[in-house]
Amino acid sequence: MSNKTPVGSVLVVGGGITGMQSALDLADAGYYVYLVEESPAIGGAMAQLDKTFPTNDCSM
Amino acid sequence: MNIELLTLSKVTSISGDSGDFTVIIKQSPRFVDMEKCIACGTCAEKCPAKTSDPFNEGLAKRKAIYVPYAQAVPLKYAIDKNRCIYFQKGKCRACEKFCPTNAIKFDETEKDITLNVGSVILTAGFTPFNPDRFDNYQHAKFPNVITSMEFERILSAGGPFAGHVHRLSDGKEPKKIAWLQCVGSRDLNRCDNEYCSSVCCMYAIKESVIAKEHLGPDFAPAIFFMDMRTHGKDFEKYYERAKAQGVRFVRSRVHTITEIDETGTLNLVYATDTGERVSEDFDMVVLSVGMEPAASAIEAAKTLGVELNSYQFVKTSNISPVATSRKGIYVAGALQGPKDIPQSVVEASAAACSAGISLSASRGTLVKDKQFPAERSVQDEKPRIGVFVCNCGINIGGIADVPAVAAYARGLGDVVYTEEPLFACSQDAQDKMVEVIREHRLNRIVVAACTPRTHEPLFQETIRNAGLNAYLFEMANIRNQCTWVHSGDKEKATEKAKDLVRMAIRRAMLLEPIPSLSVNVNKSALVIGGGVAGMTAALSLADQGFSATIVERSGNLGGSARDVHATWSGEDVQQFLKDLIDRINQHPLITVLTWAQVVDASGFVGNFETRVQAGEKTHILQHGIAIMATGGQAAVTDEYLFGKHPAVTRWHDLENNPEKLTDAGSVVFIQCVGSRDDKRPYCSRVCCTTSVSQAIAIKEKQPDTDVFILYRDIRTFGEREVLYKKAREKGVIFIRYSLESKPVVTETPDGLHVRVFDPILQKELLIHADLVNLATAIEPSPNADIAAFYKVPVNAENFFMEAHAKLRPVDFASDGLFVCGLAHYPKSLDESIAQAMAAAGRAATVLARETIQISPLVSQVNRDMCIGCGLCTEVCPFGAIIQEDVDGKGFKAKNISASCKGCGLCASSCPKKAIDMLHFRDDQIVAAVCAAV
Amino acid sequence: MEQVEPKIVAFLCNWCAYAGADLAGVSRIQHPSNMRTVRVMCSGRVDPIFIVQALKSGCDGVLVAG
Repeated sequence: MSNKTPVGSVLVVGGGITGMQSALDLADAGYYVYLVEESPAIGGAMAQLDKTFPTNDCSM
Repeated sequence: MNIELLTLSKVTSISGDSGDFTVIIKQSPRFVDMEKCIACGTCAEKCPAKTSDPFNEGLAKRKAIYVPYAQAVPLKYAIDKNRCIYFQKGKCRACEKFCPTNAIKFDETEKDITLNVGSVILTAGFTPFNPDRFDNYQHAKFPNVITSMEFERILSAGGPFAGHVHRLSDGKEPKKIAWLQCVGSRDLNRCDNEYCSSVCCMYAIKESVIAKEHLGPDFAPAIFFMDMRTHGKDFEKYYERAKAQGVRFVRSRVHTITEIDETGTLNLVYATDTGERVSEDFDMVVLSVGMEPAASAIEAAKTLGVELNSYQFVKTSNISPVATSRKGIYVAGALQGPKDIPQSVVEASAAACSAGISLSASRGTLVKDKQFPAERSVQDEKPRIGVFVCNCGINIGGIADVPAVAAYARGLGDVVYTEEPLFACSQDAQDKMVEVIREHRLNRIVVAACTPRTHEPLFQETIRNAGLNAYLFEMANIRNQCTWVHSGDKEKATEKAKDLVRMAIRRAMLLEPIPSLSVNVNKSALVIGGGVAGMTAALSLADQGFSATIVERSGNLGGSARDVHATWSGEDVQQFLKDLIDRINQHPLITVLTWAQVVDASGFVGNFETRVQAGEKTHILQHGIAIMATGGQAAVTDEYLFGKHPAVTRWHDLENNPEKLTDAGSVVFIQCVGSRDDKRPYCSRVCCTTSVSQAIAIKEKQPDTDVFILYRDIRTFGEREVLYKKAREKGVIFIRYSLESKPVVTETPDGLHVRVFDPILQKELLIHADLVNLATAIEPSPNADIAAFYKVPVNAENFFMEAHAKLRPVDFASDGLFVCGLAHYPKSLDESIAQAMAAAGRAATVLARETIQISPLVSQVNRDMCIGCGLCTEVCPFGAIIQEDVDGKGFKAKNISASCKGCGLCASSCPKKAIDMLHFRDDQIVAAVCAAV
Repeated sequence: MEQVEPKIVAFLCNWCAYAGADLAGVSRIQHPSNMRTVRVMCSGRVDPIFIVQALKSGCDGVLVAG
């Protein structure tokens, strides 16, 4: 590793539930985040699910 | 504000190294100005071009200008260039004509964005298997054969049929639906996906149960499966419940689907366990399709230069489950391998933790905090209320009589200013609001517009910019809950809008400024448990610069991994463990206390105090967060002669005593010993993979030794399925048994006899076994004390209970407390490591701050009225009210603001009305209620 | 006889029922206009006194949803 100070930002590729969680955790831990999503909105496959086990929460 | 969202964007190139990457992003045009679009939907209403809606799996239509779904973030329209009539034929521009905010930008072009980042996380996801490639599933041909994803949309209340389940052929309600498992999974011959997709068994059960709720008691669902894989936390109980509710489970692979009549009813042909050929009709068939890496995700992975495995998933190792082949680039979610939501969320936090470790020297350098002017005191002022009645273009103004509503508001007491902005949320209206507040010395603001759920924070920020406290603000929801739902009756909508505004004003009169609340954070961590999970969590925190203390009950670090030879993908666990312990011992920020136990704890997020007894010594530790990594162990059993015969062993006993194996002519593994029964109604998750791996190892070393695995369902989920296949190829014999006819092990003069009924042969088999190895249940280590000290819940089987099964798999409901490893649920080493890193990643979101802002909307106790009955303490779900012994006055309730979530259960339960909720005070709510009629 | 239009006060939990009412708006689901909503942070906040108060003030029905 170089002795240079690293850049304090992170690129997250993919705006599904996984990408959103990574982005939130990083932003909350003090890093600037670019969240890149190829569609017009984040949410990914989970947004399409009706309900999820076990709470039968609506996925929204 | 520290997350920049780039939609319609793709990574096109990357250069540089970990800590300093340059990435080029190509952003396609949206053709809609995000600043101006208010998502009113007029454009889509007027757009003449219809197209298939991919969000609804093609079961509905959407327009060429669209939002992907109603709750989309960002809630901004976009034009689908390939479907737009203007782009295709040169004429139309209806959207542009009708857009009330001039947001349409047909001339927008693609642009390249260059980003400089220290690290990259790849989470580009999966795509459901497309069954149209294979004609045996008949998905493309028969309308009533649908995929599970299509069924999700059909079930959804927000879906194409508003949740009304019906057949696509004739619109009739189905009476019988068959789910076919392993479509596009566990199948090398046809689809080439030999892995198990891990999630389909569980979602099929869920869909069948929910379909039954929709369709009533006569509805008969059937699930056709090979092995039922309900290996997740609390999944097995759900499976049992589904059986009890009438979901039929058929262990068979359906080989033929035909359409039998013009209504579209389907006939399925399959063979039963006993070899009987059955022909049965169903109204619908749902294909439980598996997961594949999304094509765009594979492309992104290749662009980023990370290695893929043979299935095109991103390659990782079991001992560093989120690190890719390229330093500084991490992976999480279904692109790393098929997995469910909780595991994806765990990896997401683990990847964030990894990125955080590599960039910790620059933490906080690029993030911003918003600054506000000093707050004006309004304490001695009479309420001076400003009311802003928003037109929202024509969304409100086109239905309700906005001038009349504003005039009505002007006539109510204490209202000194009213206005009717076209869009209250637009930047110019916001700027004007700041001016108006200053000019008219307004001290309470009411905005009658859309919903506070999306817009309250925006307006609160605006009034803070004018020097007002954020809580001197109230919204009246006259769009979502009024004009949008009463658009047919303008008069009634206006009348209701007036009522809602009156209620808001009456409440606003009683609003009071609430000071922001923050607590200091002690930047050190306590990790309870010194196994792989605990050590990984401590190391992941220390590598980010936070000190950590590990409290280990025994004399050694290592925990249950000390018995394990290899991970399921073959990494050497003992070497890994040795390296991990070395790093722990050498790390300047880590303290290890062995022979140590927590004996008491108190405090809240950022400020815990824990007493640890280590031998003779008592340590008092101050820490900001705590991670529960207390581990688990293989249970003992009194079944199958365990403990009574030296040839009956469990788990890793054989591996660790290889001399026992050398002369063995036959070895029998028995699965589910004490798991998946009444006493422990859960699957221990890792036993199938472990026994299969051990069986392969025996066969590789001694091909002539007969190896049997007696199982109930083989649960080699995900890519572990390959091991199952390999074991069969090596000649390991798998015999299924049921809970009703368990194998019987007896001691005879010529050795151990194992009797088991083989359902395929329909015969009882007798195996002469030299060795019998039992996969006993994995149970959590005793944790009742820890649970009581920190007031965290455990489930019926004593595993720690996370805040939310899907979305918060490593957090406890109480802030600052986290869980990982076997203490949460049985899991493999790679999963424990990921969860430990996730716990450290989540903990870093607390420890990275000097202070934590907490919501000041908490309960307030009037101690003079409190009688110390303790009811509030009992009902509080967050441990946020305690009973304090006050000198000479007995017990009095005390609020712990940092733990309080503001739900108000305490206030409504208090028999003496000694508790009130800030911003939702009794009198504030009652004022709104009285103004309602 | 004149048709009776009952007046209903609804206590809706911010996180679920209130969000549902918002979503009904987004979906433009038309429904009768005689409900007046009071937003609370949890349906557990609803003190029986609020319900009595609502009825005393002259409403005909109370809905608590969460």
